[in-house]
Amino acid sequence: MVGEAASAYSPILLMFGFAVAATAPALLISRLVAPRGRDTPVKYLPMECGQVPKGEGRTHFMMQYYAYILMFVVFDVVAIFLYAWGSALLELPREATLPIIAFLGIMFAAMAFALRQSGRRDIW
Amino acid sequence: MSVIAPRFKFSEFVKSIIENAFWIVVIMTLVGLPMAMIVLFYVDLPVIDGALVTPFLALTWLSHPELALPLLKSFLTSDAFRILAFPGFGFAALVAAGTIFVERKMLAKLQLRVGPFYCGKIEGILQLAGDGLKLISKEIIIPAKADKPLFIVAPLLFVGAAAAFVALIPVAPGWVVADVDVGLLAVFAVIGFFPIITVLSAWSANSKFPFIGGIRALYQMVSFEIPLILSCLGVVLLTGTLNLTEIAQSQQVIPWIVLMPIGAIVFFICMLAELERIPFDLPEAESEIVAGWLTEFSGMMYGLVQLGSYVKLYAFSALFVVLFLGGWSGPVFWPPLEQELLESGQTLGPIKLQLPGLPLFSQEFFSAVIWFVLKTAAVIFFVLLPRGVFPRIRIDMLLRIGWYKLIAMAFVNIFVALGLVYAGVVGPGGIF
Repeated sequence: MVGEAASAYSPILLMFGFAVAATAPALLISRLVAPRGRDTPVKYLPMECGQVPKGEGRTHFMMQYYAYILMFVVFDVVAIFLYAWGSALLELPREATLPIIAFLGIMFAAMAFALRQSGRRDIW
Repeated sequence: MSVIAPRFKFSEFVKSIIENAFWIVVIMTLVGLPMAMIVLFYVDLPVIDGALVTPFLALTWLSHPELALPLLKSFLTSDAFRILAFPGFGFAALVAAGTIFVERKMLAKLQLRVGPFYCGKIEGILQLAGDGLKLISKEIIIPAKADKPLFIVAPLLFVGAAAAFVALIPVAPGWVVADVDVGLLAVFAVIGFFPIITVLSAWSANSKFPFIGGIRALYQMVSFEIPLILSCLGVVLLTGTLNLTEIAQSQQVIPWIVLMPIGAIVFFICMLAELERIPFDLPEAESEIVAGWLTEFSGMMYGLVQLGSYVKLYAFSALFVVLFLGGWSGPVFWPPLEQELLESGQTLGPIKLQLPGLPLFSQEFFSAVIWFVLKTAAVIFFVLLPRGVFPRIRIDMLLRIGWYKLIAMAFVNIFVALGLVYAGVVGPGGIF
């Protein structure tokens, strides 16, 4: 049973593998064909618009976006849960929609509150 | 500029050819043949007309046209053909190449630049080949402090993930690489890989501009994923299925874009953001952060990322067609094949050609594919158009659009869909 269900997905993996296997030779051919210039240490420096690079490449970079990531973690799952209801809507009785409407209301209100909070720069 | 080797000796030239031939023969015998045996051991050989098609039999049949045809037919229905050629990677790569060509020419025309017109005599037709040749002949430079394995693998993973996305898109009835029951959810699962790959490549480059670009890409893809998911929910409400083939077939009468224009607009805008196209190309903003997360990619690695992003563009456009524009539905206009030609064959002077088992494809198939490609091309055109028209938006505007306007519009779209179901317009006993 599990194997049958999984075998429906195997073409996706095969496609992924084929794409990787089909495009990897391009890198090899490029390596063989391309002229290799003189090696200097400057050539392998990270790109910083002609300046000599300063400091670490991986720095702590403040995007002030943490609130939105938290919201994504919550509401992405909630939005996917709606699909369980959505795909069965036509078979469900009409009364079954009311709790979902309530759920949508709670979700929308929570999202509005979270957005309002995430807009406050003083607490982040 | 390279010149011919200064000391050219014919004897050494011949010697090098013989040496190469020797090594090819040795490697083929020691590695190639055992590999072929191992592969053949695990491959399910097809049974045609009650005979197991071994490689020997297949090679024998290939020399007879009337015997080769069933072999060809069985190959056309196999998984290998689907993955390699038609709804799979070959088709997607072809469409991607066409998109790159059309984009260059269209932008040149929009911005009154004449560069891409000159390469090749007719309308710059060799531009694409020139681009490919340029990319493949450039030296690949990897920064000294970069995480090399990850940095090299990232473009390949990007192409692979885009191909996995293509695998889920149905192109004609029954022509899909992976016909999954929960196709739409599988699409969201595959889309979820792109931010990971982007951040991976940006992190492994160990450079500042790719890092900033990668973080921007992550945040942008993440914030537009929720409206994307919610805007597809309307379609699922009306069709009651997650299978993309059934969703496309449910639009024989009316495409959902007519009933749910808001959902289609939200989906299209989210699509632009997920594809990092102008006006949402903040991760690659060339006037701010050089080339964003692509800064350190050089030569063919950059080419592979571009290939992956255009394959992804095709996949998203095709998904839009499947969800909102009715997929392959449209009037059958491909002329039926002549019965006389099929039964008695074609006579050309002394040669009489008659192949039993034709046609390989039905006229419905051709018609469906042509409709699908036409619709996809139209959507791709509208994805390309903003690049020549709009400026880039600021990051706070991006946030405001993604989290406030689009999510609110997606909620409105859900209620529009609910209203359509309960007003009796769609669904069991409805008009459509």
